Amino acid sequence: MLVAIGAGIAAFTGIGAGIGIGIATGKATDAVARQPEAEPKISKLLILGLALAEGTAIFGFVIALLIIMFLK
Amino acid sequence: MEGFVDRLSEELDCQTVFTIPIFSGINVSESVVVTWIIIFVLGLLCIAFVRNLKVENPGKKQVVIETMVSTIYNMIKSNVGEHGKAFIPYLMTIFIYLIFANLIGLFGFKPPTKDLNVTAALAIMSIVVIEFASIHKKGMLGRIKAFAQPTPLIAPLNILEILIRPLSLCMRLFGNILGGFVVMELLKIVIPIFIPVPFSFYFEIFDGFMQAYIFVFLTSIFIGEAVE
Repeated sequence: MLVAIGAGIAAFTGIGAGIGIGIATGKATDAVARQPEAEPKISKLLILGLALAEGTAIFGFVIALLIIMFLK
Repeated sequence: MEGFVDRLSEELDCQTVFTIPIFSGINVSESVVVTWIIIFVLGLLCIAFVRNLKVENPGKKQVVIETMVSTIYNMIKSNVGEHGKAFIPYLMTIFIYLIFANLIGLFGFKPPTKDLNVTAALAIMSIVVIEFASIHKKGMLGRIKAFAQPTPLIAPLNILEILIRPLSLCMRLFGNILGGFVVMELLKIVIPIFIPVPFSFYFEIFDGFMQAYIFVFLTSIFIGEAVE
């Protein structure tokens, strides 16, 4: 049962990713609103930042999976 | 519910397909077999596309292939910089391999990058290339001096980064592809017919492309920084 609680706590890393991605997207839309002709570059940077920020949330998922699989 | 969990955990583990009977039996797991299939398919594509290349009146196929190759080349070149140009073919190969490997789930095989060993091997290869690039450009002494680069205060962090960078590359690729695979398997267990298709556009296709691009992009940034 503690295994389940541990895995659940490990999934909390999603909070940081969600907040970070939200702030990044907000700033990206501000930048595009200021200078619409820079939109391709900004969206490229945004997608890059999204994938990197998502990585930390994925680390939490991997930890939860490892906890479930190896701590019977 | 029990059958559910068992079926899922059996999908997550990597089964050995056959055993080579040398020494005491080398287990060949299915990610290796799928990688062989990808190598075979890519080899066939390469042979098919380089027939009858012309300089003067290129056919449509040649123009398309040249556009694709030069797009990827310029994309990587802007990150690696001038001094790292020698590493671009390696990075392009890894990019094409990762795109095929992540998307082969669409054809019924299990993606080899779902296996932690495959992503760990790719990450170790990346770190070997980065360190080799750095030592080749700066020499052994220059590499050690580069640990103190912005300020000597963060030298321990720089030393740790040699370990942390491949770890994060490996885990990011593994986690994303495994996560997509698990979600698709769960969807297929629940509703096998039409619903998995739109979800597979995001989880398999988009995610696969993104992760391949991110892996190569980060490695090229590290190489560019190492030879700068």
